[in-house]
Amino acid sequence: MQAAPASALSALADPPARLVDGATMDYLLIEAVNALRVSSAVASARARKIERDMVEAGLVPPPPPPAKQQNPRDSASSTSGKISGPADEDEGVRSRLEAIGIHVGGNFAERLCRDRPLFSDSLDVIKFVCKELWVSCWDKQVDNLRTNHRGVYVLQDHAFKPIARISSWEGRQEALKRAKLYVALPAGIIRGALSRIGFQGTVVPEITTLPQCTFQIKLPKNT
Amino acid sequence: MAPLLRLNAVAFISPHNHPILIRTFEKGDELKYHYVAHTSLDVIEERTNGQTKSNDCYLGLLYAMDDIAAYGYITPLKMKIVLALPLTDSVVRDAEVIMTFRALHLAYYHASSNPFIRLHDTPAGVGSAKWKRFRRKVDEISRAVGGGSVPS
Repeated sequence: MQAAPASALSALADPPARLVDGATMDYLLIEAVNALRVSSAVASARARKIERDMVEAGLVPPPPPPAKQQNPRDSASSTSGKISGPADEDEGVRSRLEAIGIHVGGNFAERLCRDRPLFSDSLDVIKFVCKELWVSCWDKQVDNLRTNHRGVYVLQDHAFKPIARISSWEGRQEALKRAKLYVALPAGIIRGALSRIGFQGTVVPEITTLPQCTFQIKLPKNT
Repeated sequence: MAPLLRLNAVAFISPHNHPILIRTFEKGDELKYHYVAHTSLDVIEERTNGQTKSNDCYLGLLYAMDDIAAYGYITPLKMKIVLALPLTDSVVRDAEVIMTFRALHLAYYHASSNPFIRLHDTPAGVGSAKWKRFRRKVDEISRAVGGGSVPS
């Protein structure tokens, strides 16, 4: 009779792991970017329509006409969405992707940190990101880690999985531009994992040549 | 046959030292366990900020007071779990307590994976419907450990 509660507790403590097919993450990332692009186009069109309606109803003073009376020193007037169309929408999709990634990254870190001891310092945290997070998300470890020991870390991956198979019929440059959107979600995952562990830092992804990708992580000074 | 462990109370404390859930399984003063959680926080802080920082998650016996022995556990994400066990003469095996802590951590992880839940909620908010599964899991764990103690 002693064995029954012990095994019930151990079943609760260490349930058999539920596994997900690895390819689904790749597909989800691809489709998520497309879906969010459409969705955020709809959302920004809706916001602009509301803005137009409010201007017509006289509730809000009309935004200054672009590029005519703009004081060159006054750079803050880019809040009216009519000036920069495509870059604006890209920004919207990117911030949404990053927000999703932050959430996913936080929960993922919670899962991966179950069986490991406490982190000793920020380098340990970054190494955890490089090894365990990368392996469980993208099947390999980070190829190169550099730091200036003052809170800036550069993670380099020579064949980053989400962008490894991107190609565009318009040529290399076009493929590069499109790939920038696809790394927003992984950057969010890294940022979310870091913030859940307790480091509010920034993660900036950079692509120079496909499929190489570098992530620059800036952690705040006080650790 | 040694008597099984009975749990008196479980407390989850967020990384910012806010209480998330304090659940008592003994017909007693619930406020007493809030107080136990508070004092455990102090002991945990002094143990984790000391020079000899151990890398272990399990902090062992934090302190004993009245008839309560408090055991602490800190996750790498700085969330703390405090377990209040009745102070008995029987031997308390570390392995069992560690397994209890891991089960509790897993229950919290399952709850926090829900994207509709506001993390680091107050105990009042945790009483709402979304956290029901979490509370039920904690009760199940206490039943698995103690064999039939009634949650208050």
